[in-house]
Amino acid sequence: MGWTGTIVNGVLLGGLYGLFGVGLALVFGVTRIVNIMHGEFIALSAFIALGVSSLLPDVHPLVLIMPVVIVSFALGYALQAVLVNRSMRLPDPLAPLLLTFGLSVIVRNLMIEGFGVNPRHIRQGDFGQLSIDVFGIPVGVLPVVTLMLAVTLFVILQLLLRRTELGRIVRATADNAEIVRLMGVRPASVYNIVMGLSFALAGVAGLMLALRTTFTPFSGVERLLISFEVVVMGGLGSFWGAMLAGIALGVAQLVGLRLNPNSGFLYANLVFFAFVMLRPNGLFGTRQ
Amino acid sequence: MLLDVASLDAFYDDLQALHDLNIQVERGESVALVGANGAGKTTFMRCLAGLIERKRGAITFGGHNILRMPAEAIARRGIALVPEGRMLFPSLNVEENLLMGALGRRPGYWNLQRIFTLFPLLAERRRQMPNTLSGGQQGLVAIGRALMANPELLLCDEISLGLAPVAVDQIYASFSRIRIEGTAIVVVEQDVKRAASATDRVYCLLEGHVTLQGQSRKLDLEELTRAYFGT
Amino acid sequence: MKKHSATLSTLGIFVILAAAAPWLVGDGGVALLFEVLLMLTMAQLWNLLAGYTGLVSMGLQCFVGLGGYTTIFAANTFSVSPYWVLPLAPLVCGLIGAVSAPFLFRLRDAYFSISTWVFAEVVAMLVFITPGLGHVTGMTLETAREIDYETFLLANFWIAAALAAGVVTGIFALLQSPLGLGLLSVRDDDVAAASIGVNVWRNRFIAYVAAAAGCGLAGGISFMAALFITVTTAFDLNWVVAMIFTVIIGGIGTLEGPIVGVAIYYGIRALLTNVFALSGSWYLVTLGAIAVITMLVAPRGIWPFIRDRFGIELLRVSRKLVDDLPHAETNAITSKTTANSRFLDYGSD
Repeated sequence: MGWTGTIVNGVLLGGLYGLFGVGLALVFGVTRIVNIMHGEFIALSAFIALGVSSLLPDVHPLVLIMPVVIVSFALGYALQAVLVNRSMRLPDPLAPLLLTFGLSVIVRNLMIEGFGVNPRHIRQGDFGQLSIDVFGIPVGVLPVVTLMLAVTLFVILQLLLRRTELGRIVRATADNAEIVRLMGVRPASVYNIVMGLSFALAGVAGLMLALRTTFTPFSGVERLLISFEVVVMGGLGSFWGAMLAGIALGVAQLVGLRLNPNSGFLYANLVFFAFVMLRPNGLFGTRQ
Repeated sequence: MLLDVASLDAFYDDLQALHDLNIQVERGESVALVGANGAGKTTFMRCLAGLIERKRGAITFGGHNILRMPAEAIARRGIALVPEGRMLFPSLNVEENLLMGALGRRPGYWNLQRIFTLFPLLAERRRQMPNTLSGGQQGLVAIGRALMANPELLLCDEISLGLAPVAVDQIYASFSRIRIEGTAIVVVEQDVKRAASATDRVYCLLEGHVTLQGQSRKLDLEELTRAYFGT
Repeated sequence: MKKHSATLSTLGIFVILAAAAPWLVGDGGVALLFEVLLMLTMAQLWNLLAGYTGLVSMGLQCFVGLGGYTTIFAANTFSVSPYWVLPLAPLVCGLIGAVSAPFLFRLRDAYFSISTWVFAEVVAMLVFITPGLGHVTGMTLETAREIDYETFLLANFWIAAALAAGVVTGIFALLQSPLGLGLLSVRDDDVAAASIGVNVWRNRFIAYVAAAAGCGLAGGISFMAALFITVTTAFDLNWVVAMIFTVIIGGIGTLEGPIVGVAIYYGIRALLTNVFALSGSWYLVTLGAIAVITMLVAPRGIWPFIRDRFGIELLRVSRKLVDDLPHAETNAITSKTTANSRFLDYGSD
């Protein structure tokens, strides 16, 4: 496969990265908290998807998307309502960051104990191997589906935020959580919903991850860092920026692996650092 | 009596901002709250709206004690605050800002169309973002947003601050229309003359105390000056 | 003067105990204390950054690993006993800390934190792919053959004890100094500190480089003692996880806090491994749970909680946190946008 093929597949990988990042971007945009648990939940979701999939071997894993969304939403909602909202009430602004850090360590180690450290993967028969020829470049069907899914979810999210009353409320709360109370809105409730949505997105991301590649309980750390890089590079307040950032990182990742198969996420991380130093506001940074 | 504030003390950290305030507002009345900077006017408004935690005394609204009620609940009970600085939501356009006011779904006269009738300027700009509006126009949006809640009590905190007189005129002109619906209004103003001309009664605050109260028409300028500056 | 004599006597007691330790607790005890002292050093350094300058680092494992690799690599390359090259560890790490700080400081709050994490991953990966550093198999300390085991154990212990004592004393002295007051003010309110002329950037820079060097030295000692290093153990996230948890549990922003935290850390570990025979992952789960509960129930940590309850003061550095004043918590959550809404900060002070 020539360089063109690498780049094309990098763009497709970027769809998955964008999906990783948009949940984190949503939470940060509204609550100003970086949810460090985000990565671990992606990994956890992959494990759960694996488990459910093995219980229902005749069901195609993609069918699981709806249940994943619902269960993930509920978990995120509960987490915010029970723990994170409490940490936001504390006088120390570092508290939510440290809380989510602590929770991420707990979840990661529970996964290590519960699932072991061996790499896992959801087998989907031939589906995972399917590829089509696009102008002579072999392109995996699954990555295309992932990209399409990511774009679809993006669009749904944008519609939700721009055209519904709930979206108005979320945007207003993100703008000014004190004033929004004057209109009868409880910011804590808004945060619950936003965290639920974020987890729902992370849940889907985890499912797609499980389909695409092998994963271990340590996969969460890498996904958090990628999500974070997507958010920062994309610029605060811009989801499409996050998508583009995801693509940039995806391309950097595959190009890097081609240069040195052992380099892991090195090239993506380096692109991130270079970008942040040169363009500190991100691609489409809007919020000041 | 719509609003009965008795012996209200309010605190910012260890600083006492309000001392033993006693203020009443009848249904449909309009009351002005005047005083110099730092007198406690905005603090008082924020107390009524539920944004100040550390307070003691009694605030009775429509027969209910709202002293310990959170701001969200107070808003749903029919108190709407137009905050100092207007505080529109920058990510929402004019129409969306107005719609935010109607979340409580309180029944009443005001809806989006009627707000646009009251302020035709806004109808033309309904899809514009707040940062593209002038100060006066933002003020109209802020008032419209509060009206959309169909409040029984409308609190206006320094709405004329930083605005051209023409814009302020327009805002005050809308008050007469608002009062037709029976809404009580409390206006915080530094411009005493304007405040007195638009209201039934006046309270004057100085360093967190009420130093003067009376009928707007019968205000004695000398007395007011003493109460305002404290001599 | 009273404070100084208290400090000196504490230090004196520590020196005596450290010297006598091998006869008091035996080899196993010394090995454990060795670990404890290194952990204490690192916790104090993390606390210096987070508790006193407001820089929450999630990447100090970078310097632990770099210190270890520097020591072993240098010892192997120059074919000398590792003790000779140990000072290189803090030097190299301090240098890299100094070079990376200007970049990392352009990001604020959570963005700074996670970027330090990314930085650590980058360094780890660079070490991994660099030829001559062992790749997957890691590096052994080749000059280990020249070392006498008995003295090795004791020497390492005493070096670790000296490091711990030095770091704690150093931080204590630092906080009494004008530079220290500057640091304290930066933590409380960096905008206010800058407005009264405190050089925020420089204070943070100094603290960051000190933490880098200190962790580098701790890492150098640790891996020298282990005789073997791999990328996985060197740059293990759990180094900084341990630092964060011990300080949160013990008491962030206090000198005694990390001491209390480290004691609890090893106490829990002993409990879980000896009594319940549970593995390392359960230990981290338990510690994490304790940290989370502490954060929600006693947000400033266990030491301030005890201290305020019973009025004890040990290494108290005179300062009053804004939080010390009776303070009504608000019911409303307003996201802490205000002055920190810019997540990027370039142009420092």
